[in-house]
Amino acid sequence: MSDKKIKVSSQSRNRRVSLTVTYTLLIVLGIIWLVPLVWIILSAFRCEYRADGTFIGTVTENYFPRVFGLKNFKDLFTATYYGVPKAFPLWMLNTLVIAVIDCVISTFLVLSVAYCMSKLKFKLRKAFMNASMIIGLFPGFMSMIAIYFLLKSIGLTGNPQHPQYSVIGLILAYSAGAGLGFQIAKGFFDVIPNALVESAKLDGCTNFKIFQRIILPLAKPIIIYQALMSFTGPWMDFIFAKVIIGADNARYWTVSVGLYSLMFGTHPDTNLFTQFAAGCVIVAIPIVTLFMFLQRYYVEGVTAGAVKG
Amino acid sequence: MGSRTLVAPKNKKNQLSFLERLGKKFSDFGKRFADGSLGTKLSHFIFGAGNFYHKQYIKGFLFLLIQVGILALMIFCPSVNGTPYGWKALRNLSLTHVTEGGAFDPVTGHFTSGSDCKLMVLFGFVTIAMIVIYFLVWNLNIASSAKADKDKKIGKKPSTFKEDLQELLDGKFHVMMLTPTCIAAAVFTILPTIFMIALAFTTYNSQDMNDLGTNLFHWNGLQNFRAVFTGEGSLGVEIKNRFLPVLGWTFIWAIFATLTCYFGGIILALLINKKGLKGKKLFRTVFIITIAVPQFISLLAVRNLLGEYGPFNAMLMNLGWIKQPIGFLGLHPGDSEMLAKFMVILVNMWVGIPYTMLMTSGILMNIPTDLYEAARVDGASTTKMFFKITLPYVVFVTTPYLISSFVGNISAFNTIFLLTGGGPTYTGYQAGGTDLLVTWLYKVTIDQGSYNTGAVIGIFTFIITATITLVTYRRSKAYNEEDTFQ
Amino acid sequence: MKKFLIFLMVFAMMAAMLVGCSEGGDTPAKDPNDDGEIRVWVGEESAEFYQKICDQYVADHPDFGYKITVKGMDTGSVAGTITNDPTAAADIYTVAHDNIGKLAATQCAKPITDQGLIDQVLADNPASFQKVIYSTLNDQTYLFGVPYISQALFLYYNKALVTDEQAASFEGLQEAAKAANTKAITVTGDDGFNMSFALLATKVSDHSTTVKLYEGAESVSGGSKGVSNCQGDDTVAIVRWLQAYAADPNGFKWASSDGWDADLRNNGALAVIGGAWHYNTAKASLGETNLGIALIPTFSLTNEAVEGLTGVAAGDTYRGGTFADCKCFMINAYSAASKYAKEQELIKYMSSKEVQNASYLECLNVPAYVGASDYIKQCYDEGKVAEGEYKLAAMQVGMAEWGIPQPFITGTLNTYYYSKNGPAVFRAMIDKTAYPTTGDKVLTETESLEGIRKGLYLIEYLWMHGQAPKEFPATLPTPA
Repeated sequence: MSDKKIKVSSQSRNRRVSLTVTYTLLIVLGIIWLVPLVWIILSAFRCEYRADGTFIGTVTENYFPRVFGLKNFKDLFTATYYGVPKAFPLWMLNTLVIAVIDCVISTFLVLSVAYCMSKLKFKLRKAFMNASMIIGLFPGFMSMIAIYFLLKSIGLTGNPQHPQYSVIGLILAYSAGAGLGFQIAKGFFDVIPNALVESAKLDGCTNFKIFQRIILPLAKPIIIYQALMSFTGPWMDFIFAKVIIGADNARYWTVSVGLYSLMFGTHPDTNLFTQFAAGCVIVAIPIVTLFMFLQRYYVEGVTAGAVKG
Repeated sequence: MGSRTLVAPKNKKNQLSFLERLGKKFSDFGKRFADGSLGTKLSHFIFGAGNFYHKQYIKGFLFLLIQVGILALMIFCPSVNGTPYGWKALRNLSLTHVTEGGAFDPVTGHFTSGSDCKLMVLFGFVTIAMIVIYFLVWNLNIASSAKADKDKKIGKKPSTFKEDLQELLDGKFHVMMLTPTCIAAAVFTILPTIFMIALAFTTYNSQDMNDLGTNLFHWNGLQNFRAVFTGEGSLGVEIKNRFLPVLGWTFIWAIFATLTCYFGGIILALLINKKGLKGKKLFRTVFIITIAVPQFISLLAVRNLLGEYGPFNAMLMNLGWIKQPIGFLGLHPGDSEMLAKFMVILVNMWVGIPYTMLMTSGILMNIPTDLYEAARVDGASTTKMFFKITLPYVVFVTTPYLISSFVGNISAFNTIFLLTGGGPTYTGYQAGGTDLLVTWLYKVTIDQGSYNTGAVIGIFTFIITATITLVTYRRSKAYNEEDTFQ
Repeated sequence: MKKFLIFLMVFAMMAAMLVGCSEGGDTPAKDPNDDGEIRVWVGEESAEFYQKICDQYVADHPDFGYKITVKGMDTGSVAGTITNDPTAAADIYTVAHDNIGKLAATQCAKPITDQGLIDQVLADNPASFQKVIYSTLNDQTYLFGVPYISQALFLYYNKALVTDEQAASFEGLQEAAKAANTKAITVTGDDGFNMSFALLATKVSDHSTTVKLYEGAESVSGGSKGVSNCQGDDTVAIVRWLQAYAADPNGFKWASSDGWDADLRNNGALAVIGGAWHYNTAKASLGETNLGIALIPTFSLTNEAVEGLTGVAAGDTYRGGTFADCKCFMINAYSAASKYAKEQELIKYMSSKEVQNASYLECLNVPAYVGASDYIKQCYDEGKVAEGEYKLAAMQVGMAEWGIPQPFITGTLNTYYYSKNGPAVFRAMIDKTAYPTTGDKVLTETESLEGIRKGLYLIEYLWMHGQAPKEFPATLPTPA
């Protein structure tokens, strides 16, 4: 009896010790992971002035700001960048529009290709799958000029008469490649039993009906995953968008191009760092929120992709 | 291209009969013409004629539209930036029908610009694509008419346009579903890729062209590939001296970046999913945030934090651990290369571990508990269970991920570009200490304008990644299961 | 077999669109590009100003007939943007003059032929600028660029820690740096433009230097590249002096990875050699009251620097040099011919003394015309500009006396200094490290006299040939 008790208590003590170690480790790691991000947030709210009244907008050696304030945000939303008054809100809006449309088109393309690859049988299916896997491996920078001139051929780059057409061009270029990234969604569809499809066929359903009535309702997690992925894409690209939209077309830039150019132009104004940080916070808020809410689906998608390859 | 290499070894028999099949194709073709109705015969010359003959007006009109469209393009040669499409583009593809241009009339201000060779190459390939399409549609339109002939013969009515559309929703559903992706991929992925590959065989190097005082470039065969080994040409010495080091580092980076994130992620997942641990969700959320924040934000934050005058160096100096700020990221030419390499791998763990953690969390929970029960009965220790059960299981399940993340790391542009910019730079070389093939490619093309050299580097990168992917993929479960599915 | 039906349809649509939308045929019809608008690209900081004065001009000249749109561009990268796709560039754009050759050679620019405008350019601009605004087109020499802003490097320093006297010489800065336990001076970058302070340094007593850059070159393709020299004993002595100055704990440092402004702000260096385009950043780094502006300082050659050299003596005083450049208006080659006359009329107006003066007052652009210093002084005396702003302009005009415009010949030879590794060799010498890509030979022992001579030979060779020699000659040629 007593022997057992001792064992149990030592076990539970062991357990407690190991739990404490785990907690400490996780907390330390968590802090390491948060330090850079918190720093950006802190910098965004930093509002320090030099003795002579000039604002300090650069990177400083103090991690925690001495004075907090909203000046950076105020400036960010009212400032004229690259000759565009109130450029930042415009960039946000552009990016939102591009992201939403890209999200709809890309998700549709991915789902349709994935469905075909998973549940339909036709000639060239295997060839298509292999080709799509290989094509994506070419480094993309040089295709940038080619894509630019192909889009220019159909008038979808930033020409002075219709600068807004370049946005269509950018959406096209973003969503065009989406269909080739079907592997994860296909992995998901593969799990849906074929019997379900077969029985529907026996009932006289067309392939379209099967897709619409049976597959889509089951595919909610993967739809959300794909939508999330394609929605966030335009917020993260800082090279391609500038080429397509045009260096002189700042009115139609995306927010990442704008923010990146602010800090890394040929003559960057390092004094804009805190404004840049404020911009980063504004950009990150919607994306992080989306991620938080849709975490479950994201994990599901990531896991499916990892296992199915 | 890839597909053929994949399929070829299995289809030896089919290959042998290739000539026979070709012969049959031709005889079928002749028969189709001879046996066809007047409409079918006419279809050989005018697209959609057969459909009109069979009163399939809309379809016929669409075929005709394609023929007229492509022919008009071929004949009228519309031009962009003064470079034409159409038959002239085919002629231009040789890059011999070029003019230097520059004729200028001081009175009227009229300026004649010279040929734009890069557009000549690009539009040449677009036109070839158009011609291929023309013949595909040609065959399609004849086949469509022949089918209507056949239907008529057996007393069926030729399909109406509406029926064709309905067929698209069922029997030909994949056609409808795949067409947008096929078009998009052809225009935005395949054509640009062909264009890029083609540039590797040209003299398209802005600096050389500037030196020669010309706007024109021409084909030069395999010379650029040879330069990698001989060091000829304007970037030749750089390529010769830096190619192997950069390639080597690219591999070292890919191996370390993949393994550190992979095992780091598994360990983190184990920690978070430990039994009895509270606040799992909170911890998980903390790590997910780094995935959600765009990389150009988070990596630049890290870069500034670690900067010479950034908070991290300030902290170390305040603690008295260092006297001079340390250039962690090699942004300065004199900085340590080893330190920069170490730091990018370290920072990449920060980027990559949460991702693996998320992925493996799900897998860990799926490990059958009876495996552990059995082990526990046998008196196995926790460590032993980890190495004997957990790790093998996770590795087994996630091998495809391991490979794809290795390939992904070979071309991990963002991490290097945003963190170190490839630095520390070396006097006289573009490619710095932490440059990967992709970031070097970026510098060589976008900064230097040496498109031919860039294309060569791009092709090498492609060969490496494609080989790894193909070899591993062909051995993977997914591929072999695909076969049984078929 | 209707497999690709829709796929093909869309392609045909695109084909039809191509036929319909594009420029139509190989030979351009009567200026389809002329849309009644003249687009102008200027530097970001002055876009608003030029839009304003252009609107004024159109209002004053109802018969001008074109709408003018001015956009601000990143002047550092604008030349690249133009060469990538000149048809997408503005009708009139502005670049630093050393891009003229490249833009003319790549057929992105159209010559200027309006006699009135040419007369104005010749009457207003100093001879040094007039040499570098011509280029050739089909072996004909034309005027391509119209200068409207002049730019030169000068010194920003931290007034809190450096006195005005100390800022006048490198030794003075060193002294101040010693007191503050930091480095004396840094530069904004390590390219050829920024390194010009050392390579173009001239003797104070008689403004002399043996450095020559394409002197007497003909700006015709295939013409003579003129004479270049980088191997004089004075240059060797300057390199030796700078090597020692850079090795000194209170001497020269390269800009930190956080940028030269971080050095300035954190007292990592007390001064920086920069241009007017660095003004706002410098002001933000030090605060307006602490920001001093001066000529690039002088330095005296030490005994060690002149050891074994002839023609130089210890104690010889040199002033740091600079490339004194100008920014120019140019006309896009792809701009419609029907706009040509109006474009030149507009450039004539935008580059007139009055507009240059106004742009100084509003945007601190230093005028390019001869005698601008009088106007600059006058504005200060009348209290129209603050002291810092006055100095900014006055020092640039002052430095013009100690500098030369970046030379270029027919589109190609200007790029050597920037991209053909000349600056990299120079940096290797200052850091006393090896330079790797001399054909098959490595440049080593850059700290020795022999190594320095080899390095300077290499730089000169790069200037003249655009690539490194296969190997060093057994005996280096004696300076011309």
